[in-house]
Amino acid sequence: MLAYIIRRLGVALLVTAGVAAISYALLHAIAPNPAYVALGDRTSPVAVAAWDRAHGYDHPEVIQIVDYVWEIARFHFGYSYKLNQSVGALLKENVGRSAYLSLASLILALIIAVPLGIFQAVRRNSYFDYTVTTLNFVLYSMPSFFLGVILIQFFALDWHILPPLVGDNITSTWAAITHPNQLVLPIVTLAAIQVASFSRYMRSSALDTLAEDYIRLARAKGLSERVVLTRHLLRNACLPMITLIGLSIPTLLAGNLLIEYLFNYPGLGLMFYTALGNEDYNVMLAYVVFGGMLTVLGNLVADIALTVADPRVRLD
Amino acid sequence: MTAALEISNLSTEIKLSRSTVHAVGNVGLTINAGETLGLVGESGSGKSMLGLSVLGLLPNGGHITGGSIKIEGQELVGLPEKELRKLRGDRVAMIFQDSLSSLNPTKTIGQQVAEPVRLHRDVTQREAMERVLEVLDLVGLPKPKERLADFPHQLSGGLRQRVMIAIALACDPRVLLADEPTTALDVTIQAQILRLLDDLEQRLGMATLLVTHDMGVVAGRANRINVMYAGRIVESAPTELLFSSMRHPYTQALLGSIPRLEQDNTKRLLSIPGLPPDLTNPPTGCRFAARCRFATEQCLQQEPPLTGDAQHAFACWNPVDGPAELTESVAHATRAPVQAARAGLGDSPSITISGPGVTQNGIKPLLEIVNVVREYPITAGFLRRQVNSVKAVSDVTLTIHSGESFGLVGESGCGKTSLGKLIVGIEKPDSGHIRLAGEDVFSYRGTKLRKARRDLQMMFQDPFGSLDPRMRVNAILQEPLQIQNIGSQRERDEKVRGILDDVGLPAAALERYPHEFSGGQRQRVALARALMLEPKVMVADEPVSALDVSIRSQVLNLMKRLQIERDMASVVISHDLAVVKYLADRIGVMYLGKLVELGSGDDIYARPAHPYTQALIKTIPVPDPAVEKAKTEVGIRGELPSPIDPPSGCRFRTRCPLAQQICSEVEPPLRRFGGEHLAACHFPLQTPEPDAESSLTTAG
Repeated sequence: MLAYIIRRLGVALLVTAGVAAISYALLHAIAPNPAYVALGDRTSPVAVAAWDRAHGYDHPEVIQIVDYVWEIARFHFGYSYKLNQSVGALLKENVGRSAYLSLASLILALIIAVPLGIFQAVRRNSYFDYTVTTLNFVLYSMPSFFLGVILIQFFALDWHILPPLVGDNITSTWAAITHPNQLVLPIVTLAAIQVASFSRYMRSSALDTLAEDYIRLARAKGLSERVVLTRHLLRNACLPMITLIGLSIPTLLAGNLLIEYLFNYPGLGLMFYTALGNEDYNVMLAYVVFGGMLTVLGNLVADIALTVADPRVRLD
Repeated sequence: MTAALEISNLSTEIKLSRSTVHAVGNVGLTINAGETLGLVGESGSGKSMLGLSVLGLLPNGGHITGGSIKIEGQELVGLPEKELRKLRGDRVAMIFQDSLSSLNPTKTIGQQVAEPVRLHRDVTQREAMERVLEVLDLVGLPKPKERLADFPHQLSGGLRQRVMIAIALACDPRVLLADEPTTALDVTIQAQILRLLDDLEQRLGMATLLVTHDMGVVAGRANRINVMYAGRIVESAPTELLFSSMRHPYTQALLGSIPRLEQDNTKRLLSIPGLPPDLTNPPTGCRFAARCRFATEQCLQQEPPLTGDAQHAFACWNPVDGPAELTESVAHATRAPVQAARAGLGDSPSITISGPGVTQNGIKPLLEIVNVVREYPITAGFLRRQVNSVKAVSDVTLTIHSGESFGLVGESGCGKTSLGKLIVGIEKPDSGHIRLAGEDVFSYRGTKLRKARRDLQMMFQDPFGSLDPRMRVNAILQEPLQIQNIGSQRERDEKVRGILDDVGLPAAALERYPHEFSGGQRQRVALARALMLEPKVMVADEPVSALDVSIRSQVLNLMKRLQIERDMASVVISHDLAVVKYLADRIGVMYLGKLVELGSGDDIYARPAHPYTQALIKTIPVPDPAVEKAKTEVGIRGELPSPIDPPSGCRFRTRCPLAQQICSEVEPPLRRFGGEHLAACHFPLQTPEPDAESSLTTAG
């Protein structure tokens, strides 16, 4: 088990390095020289060359890539010339708020989706099942920002129950947690999109589990249907969800991007969005590399979690 | 005295989205406490639905449409779900076929056995655990206390089945419904479990409904047998009477279609043509009429009622009288060349074990397997170093002659399938050689290897999994010819039609997809595919074990006929010695990767030299009540040891009644017991030939 984790972490490092190298190369191929971003569009070529020399952009591309990967390996994400701050500090400042938004919406989504999927499976092909399925497909096909706009329209503008945007007072993760009314809409929007896919998945997994012989044996023992579902079906039907959740963690980052922008919530997504407009090189790169890291880690965590949840799975 | 279980006029339907399956129709049966009733039928006959009806656990859409089910006089039909639940697991319990899928993979054995006790008995956690230990001990689980925290996948199939029986017995049920309780097990384990069920039933005085497709399983232990066909009971009689003087043609055909060890294997098995009827739209008249040899106009018009006395009832207009004699020979063509060759071989002392190339009397063997070893590595640790290996095939040497049919038999995990894969080159041996007509074909590469593969074909066990579901039969059969670049399109078409005819499928089958066929027909397609290239050797891995009894004999007869007509060597792999003996001229018995005995069918069956072979023969359930009831021993005790770490010396010694000190120290060499009969045992049951023992030492 330990050997397995060490090996997987080694692979994770390699993958991250690869992501960093490829992203760096791609960005340099399509974006203008960072010197213009830092110094302004009308800078003289001489000044640009001097700036390049000072920041290592005069080296051959391969060397630049190796340098970048090496920096990443030491958790140095470079410097934002636009914001005059190190990218590491920017990440550090925003990561907590994004994590809170992601986690809260993920948990909310699971609390809704797991029972919903099971009940759909139990009442398969009933009106309840059809209604939920239809709703799910509507949500699933809806862009997240569109859903957000609709919710803002109803809950904030029409009914005045909730604020339409996150205020400037959310300066820390703690502030985000202690001002729940400001975060209701972003969390609900993000959760609703996830409920759609999770409950579909849960439904099919629960259907498979319901057809298992051990469910029949549980009934043959004389257990009531409620006990059969909670004691024998729930855990087994949730096993495939673990992998799905592990894979969805990096997707949340992308989902956050639009939601954070829409609600003006200061997180990684909003930071990246701003960086896009500013051509803020190192911030964009850091965001992509961070996504790569989350993907690899999400997978690893899911695999380890699966060994805890399923006694049949052994890692070696 | 009220019967423990009394079912009368029971009808059960299953509503599908567009049609209704009439699964059980007007069925009645009675079982007293301490008795076993055997319910025999093929898949789809409604026998399992009958069992599930009793528990009220029919699948979605299923419901009882009429009749009555009484447990010790209490009516179950119409009982509210809440009341039914109180009976389930308490007074009526059920054992299912597959213990791996029937136990919850994420709960421990202890939790699962305790569940019904906690539910139905007013006991504390501690008292429940005491009962769990008691009942696990009752079903013969060794060291139950240490197993409580184990998960189902950590136990072997036999032990898991014991756990499932323990769950059923946890609350001392009055009625036990056993639905194919041993079908998923190996014969040696099957014998142990059946013995256990027998014993428990007598000790606990339960009524048992034993549902099975296997006549051999019920022969020795049922007091009475009901034969079910297409949702109806067609015959009901005490066990001895049913086997000795059955009246229904279906019962007769079912018994006649089972290959038996003592039987002359040149005779055709009695086969039941066609398929069971579709129960969404059952035929009028007798449901068996379409497949019956004795059917008349009346059979097609009127459904025969269950007549006769309470002792022996049957539903037939033209009853038969007793079992049928097998008289028809398999094929008129004799195997003259092969027989002659083998007659000559019988005299030479070194046919099987001699070195490569030419044997003493000049007949070149077709396939030589010389000291073949196959081990699957097990890796561990950070660098994935190999720490051990599964010894699938260990130093096996044997020779197969052209036109010969060779059978490989043994329990699951004995390496027979691995050896089959090695023969056709799906896998490569770690050491040793496999030569086809003197050439080491698997050392070839590229085109040459592809050409050589033409001569070696394989037919797989599962006809559902081995045919590409998106290819029509025509494409499936043409593909081997295309790959090998044989013939023009026209010649290929002709060839496909010819083969299809040979395996008894209509030309219309060409345009259909595999899922449109029944299991038996699909296995015919699989056979046709294997034959397309006219291989010199065909390996058939469990060719009939996925098929229903009545379909099995159709495929066996077909394979037997084609073997003879085509003069092709075949290797038949099966766990069922009777199947192997029916199809093969010569049989090899494998145990844990080793070939332990080799000989003609009669050598193996009538004069087994190895204790394992003898035990294997003893454990096979024979469809004959006299034979089954006379059995006093279980055959083989214990379970197959791990092939990762096989016992030293003779690998069978841990389960052998004759084992002594030497067996753990010295690996027994193959010794000759007359002619081609060889066995590897220090204490053989026959007297070996005295001479040339050392020259035969290939093993060890």
